[in-house]
Amino acid sequence: MSTFIRDYIEAQTLSRRKFLLASAAGMGAALAPMGMAGRANAALTDPAMAWSYRDRTNPYWNSIVSGGESFASSIGKDKGFMTHLINEGSSEKSLSDIKAFLSKTGGNCAIACDANDSPNARPVVEAVKAAGGYVSTIWNKTDDLHPWDFGDNYVSHMTWSDEGPAEQTARILFEAMGNKGGVVHLGGIAANNPAIERLNGLKNALKDFPDIELLDAQPADWDTQKANELMASFLTRYGDEIKGVHCANDTIAYGVLEALRAEGIEGMPVVSYDGNLQAVELVMKGDILCTVSTNPYWGGGITSALSYHAAIGTFKPSEEPPEHREFYGPTVLITKADAEEFRKTNLDATPTYDWTDFWGPGNGQIQYK
Amino acid sequence: MGARISRATLLRWAPFLVLIALVVFFTILNPSFFSLRNAARIALAATPALMVAIGVTFILIMGSIDLSMEGAVSVTAVLFATVFLQLGGTLASWAWIALPAAVLAGAVFGMLNGWLHVKLQIPSFMASLAFGFVGTGLALMMTGGDRIRVEDELFRGLLTFRFAGFPLMVWLAFGFVLIAWFIQTRTTIGRNLYAVGGGEELAHASGLNTRRVRVIGFTLAGAFYALGALMAVARIGIAETATGNNFMFISITSAVVGGVALWGGIGGVWNAVVGVLIVNVINNGMVVIGLPDYLQDGVLGLMVILAVVLSTDRRLVSFVK
Repeated sequence: MSTFIRDYIEAQTLSRRKFLLASAAGMGAALAPMGMAGRANAALTDPAMAWSYRDRTNPYWNSIVSGGESFASSIGKDKGFMTHLINEGSSEKSLSDIKAFLSKTGGNCAIACDANDSPNARPVVEAVKAAGGYVSTIWNKTDDLHPWDFGDNYVSHMTWSDEGPAEQTARILFEAMGNKGGVVHLGGIAANNPAIERLNGLKNALKDFPDIELLDAQPADWDTQKANELMASFLTRYGDEIKGVHCANDTIAYGVLEALRAEGIEGMPVVSYDGNLQAVELVMKGDILCTVSTNPYWGGGITSALSYHAAIGTFKPSEEPPEHREFYGPTVLITKADAEEFRKTNLDATPTYDWTDFWGPGNGQIQYK
Repeated sequence: MGARISRATLLRWAPFLVLIALVVFFTILNPSFFSLRNAARIALAATPALMVAIGVTFILIMGSIDLSMEGAVSVTAVLFATVFLQLGGTLASWAWIALPAAVLAGAVFGMLNGWLHVKLQIPSFMASLAFGFVGTGLALMMTGGDRIRVEDELFRGLLTFRFAGFPLMVWLAFGFVLIAWFIQTRTTIGRNLYAVGGGEELAHASGLNTRRVRVIGFTLAGAFYALGALMAVARIGIAETATGNNFMFISITSAVVGGVALWGGIGGVWNAVVGVLIVNVINNGMVVIGLPDYLQDGVLGLMVILAVVLSTDRRLVSFVK
């Protein structure tokens, strides 16, 4: 090998090694202050805010983060202030995004979060506590994980119990069916907790209506198009036996209504869940008998508000009673009688809430079975 | 000679025979499966997916793959609904322009997709997957996460008006199948797609501008994705970012089940039609015979594999990648 080539390769190898060493040193230097920043349990000043959730294409999550943004603007921040950590249904992404956000802010942050699935809540909360940030969660956490075990950093957890309201919608459905006949249930993603609870609600109601038969219950994955196709298949299997439809949420109900419309079937009793604008309008028109609002806009806003106010020291979470740390969110049944009023106050106008009334609209402490 | 031809013929008709077998199978288990009303339900469920499957078939014929359909369907659906409502919200007004505009937008989307793949030399798998996300992102930007309702009775007539038991949109889709078939068999571009898929280097050496053919193929696919989007909106009356969900799986699966080879040059429009029907017959049939829901995904997967095994000729391929 000519000396020229050998020298060249040596020079390149050396410079490459130098470069790697230099970048490693640089990264180390950049990371060092982060490690020292956390651990402080004193109130933060001007913490950054983030919402970690599944995705914004879903109207439910869109309402959730809109509420969060509304809270941010109520404290004088502009719309871009809220960082969106979108996990796309991946718990790994949820956790790594939150860790990245903690590093970026050095723990000076207030996070609102749905951990995507129950086991993921613990690592999220532990990471936030280690960095000295504040977090409030909704929906997913395991039963053995409690905010009070983490001092002030795990501010609160809110969830919704759907069994009761789903039972109510079923009763309204059965009465509209004249207390007899066959009913089909189109559910959410089978393993989702709300999907299970909403089907259980229906089953609870069935006990009091001996002449109502549950013909079939299958998952439609919260998806309008899948619900549409599933309902069409149900019509082939059961035909005129179907006298009523119990839907696990509004997006499913839209698909069901269109399947019925395609067949020219009118006046079939359908009940729904979630209280989206379109569903509320369909309740007003009488196409849907009732739906249930969990008021996601308020839920998203108040979850941000709780973590933020705990972070700046407005209240000290560890001094609050358990029912202020783990509680059920509000559920409102919407029937034809109150649909118009509900739309006016909650959906037409941007609702204004007192974002410091943290626990007023809630539904009491979470009970474990 | 006779034996050879019959084997070829058998293979040609294999997907169709699989379809017949499935229909017979489900009918035996529940006779109400075999009725005009259920046929209409299956056809209706299949219509949007059929348009998308035909689009991707053009790409598969070239030996490429396109994974941008979910983004393309979402963005064209949302664009259509927005323009339609802006211009009056009923087909009886100038709003009808939204229909061709959406197809044009789909074609442009497909062209950009193909151009990226060809010009930047990115494998179609990656270029189209990434570009699909661009489409989903655009749709999300336009809607802000909301759903747009299209309630015009005339437009929804595609669903509610029936001729010979089938909704209008099913007949319309059939018309587009014939157009796609015409493109495939009677036009230069149709032949060129096969030339590229059958042996791109040979086609190139023969003086064919294969890069141009590729871009045109993707453009054509984009237009058909837009047609799928219009059918999807007509079916449920809603345009949203989620409109495109699940189309990737069902369209590619359908094309392959119907006998379109992933390595290019084999299959065509009718294979896509039969494939879409197979997948939708399975989906509908599983519910109609009362298969428990926890078994349905698994059974669908197994039946797809079985259908592919029965309907493709692997003698001609030396290796599968």
